Amino acid sequence: MAELLNKTIRTKSSGLKGYKRQKMFWAIVFLAPWLIGFMLFFMIPFLRSLYFSFFTLEPTPEGIITTYAGIKNYIYAFNQHVTSTSSFRVELINTTVDALINIPVLLIFSLFIAVMLNMKFKGRAFVRAIFFIPVILNSAAVTSALGGGDAIAQILQEQGIGTIFDLEFYLIQTGMMPWLIAFIVGLIDRIYAILSLAGVPILLFLASIQSVPKHLYEAAKIEGATGYETFWLITLPNVSPHIITVTVYALVDTFLTSSVSSIISSELGKPTRWGESAAMAWIYVSTVIILLLILAVFAKAFKIGGSHYEE
Amino acid sequence: MKNNPLVKKIKKTMKQIIEYFKTPHVQLVWKRKTSDVLMKIVRTILLFGLCFVILFPIIQQISMALRAPEDVNNPSVIWVPKNWSLMNLKISIVVLDYWNALLNTFKVSVISMILQVFSTALAGYVFSRLKFRGSNLLFVLVIITIITPPQALSLAQFLYFREVKLIGKETSIYLMSALGMGIRSGIFIYIFRQFFRGLPKELDESAQIDGASVFRTFWNIMLPNARGALVTVGLFAFVWQWNDAYYVRIFDVSKEAFPLLTMQLINAAEGMYGALFYTGGLDLIGQNVWENPLFLALISNVSALLMMLPLLIMYLFVQKQFVESIERTGIVG
Repeated sequence: MAELLNKTIRTKSSGLKGYKRQKMFWAIVFLAPWLIGFMLFFMIPFLRSLYFSFFTLEPTPEGIITTYAGIKNYIYAFNQHVTSTSSFRVELINTTVDALINIPVLLIFSLFIAVMLNMKFKGRAFVRAIFFIPVILNSAAVTSALGGGDAIAQILQEQGIGTIFDLEFYLIQTGMMPWLIAFIVGLIDRIYAILSLAGVPILLFLASIQSVPKHLYEAAKIEGATGYETFWLITLPNVSPHIITVTVYALVDTFLTSSVSSIISSELGKPTRWGESAAMAWIYVSTVIILLLILAVFAKAFKIGGSHYEE
Repeated sequence: MKNNPLVKKIKKTMKQIIEYFKTPHVQLVWKRKTSDVLMKIVRTILLFGLCFVILFPIIQQISMALRAPEDVNNPSVIWVPKNWSLMNLKISIVVLDYWNALLNTFKVSVISMILQVFSTALAGYVFSRLKFRGSNLLFVLVIITIITPPQALSLAQFLYFREVKLIGKETSIYLMSALGMGIRSGIFIYIFRQFFRGLPKELDESAQIDGASVFRTFWNIMLPNARGALVTVGLFAFVWQWNDAYYVRIFDVSKEAFPLLTMQLINAAEGMYGALFYTGGLDLIGQNVWENPLFLALISNVSALLMMLPLLIMYLFVQKQFVESIERTGIVG
């Protein structure tokens, strides 16, 4: 009897072990594409670009000639680089400051909108669908085409007729006060920019609000909590772990769509400047990482991100 | 006067009303009601206004596209075109080589979307359900891929693809997508991981007891339950590939024989006159029209609209699924 019991236990455990082994096997199989991709298209390019950033590169028909340059490329990026209107250093500082100012605004705005889109009202599905349109239409190509290209914009400006398609033009026709027009136009321009950045954060917040247990809201309603109290005491603490996710996303997105990133791209377009552009990319990466570290320290100090109910 | 019964009655009712409002539960009810109404008004105004801001440029673009080229700077035409015409669209279609470019862009986006969904769903599943020693460390690497800008990698990637002779071929984009290194693949892995983590443990436990293999559990049970994440990731993968101009430019995928919408649009916008001249778009209209710089701006606007329009139409169809997918499941665990 005991032997039999022993045997069943053993087979059961070996079955479990087998399952574990099977799990390990499939884990490797499932992860293989990503791992190969990571090695080939991330790790090697990553290290190679780090290597390039310390060299001067010169493409020739036989191959690329590299000469060691020390930290010359980094110094170039900081002190010497200029474009027609700006420089790498100025743009980097501007983008960092912009990110620090805009991200809190973006967080509050997108959380607010997500809470609103989560309420029950007529036409909710319709409004939700509209709110993700800017995410879909957010494309560098469209932006450049809507700008009409530099040459056309210049012609338009010279002839003073660039305002024909503008809201500003219509408003001037209505005879409103100029400062009011400037305010409205500026606000609307900014709103669209914020909306196109806020799409994914709204989506993430909306999803996280949906995952808050419904019974919490029911209990609050029975106890007679107002919408205001419900937001501060239930929604916000439950959403706060995802504030980190959204902040990281917004930070990366801000940098990715910034002028810093386009300066690096344009340097990359000049084959003699590859070393410099690699150095710039590395300055960019380290700036983002430093900001993320500051953010992590900040989050830890203020206990954002931990669960509200664990204490 | 003082003893007027009417005044007395009014005073009495006033007193009663004040008494009524002084009782705490009534106060609460009224507070609730007014705040509800206020909230409703604020919400309606805000959402309506924001929807207007989003839709306004699109409607404006469409209205502009449908007016006759001669009316470009006719100040009397604001919203409804005076002379309806498809001429602007026709010219833009010629300039962009639209139908070819549309077909190619669609093909590249669909294939890369499928590959990307596959590779990232598999990786996300491993990071959430098939954990092993060191898998968390690997996940940190995923986070690093999210924050690293493509510019830091693309030179080395370009040289790499040049060695294996894939520059100028769409295969380079498919390869990146299939190996989980496509456009923002890191974020997709993150979404899938969060999503699979949110599914109940009982699901795969019962499957395991019933004797399903790990692969079968994933394929027949977890994946169908992850429809929300699949729709979200699929939509983003498609849209971002559709709008991508960066990788397409680096890998030189768009060519005369294989035009892609984004590159065609950028090239046309940068040199609209040349683009009109070389594609024969100028022959479609008179000199008095194409000499007008505003007309060139108009055509580049219409071209942008033509690139967005298919996305908008497709979004109308998946929109319900997409919005519901957020509703039902919650991507964020």
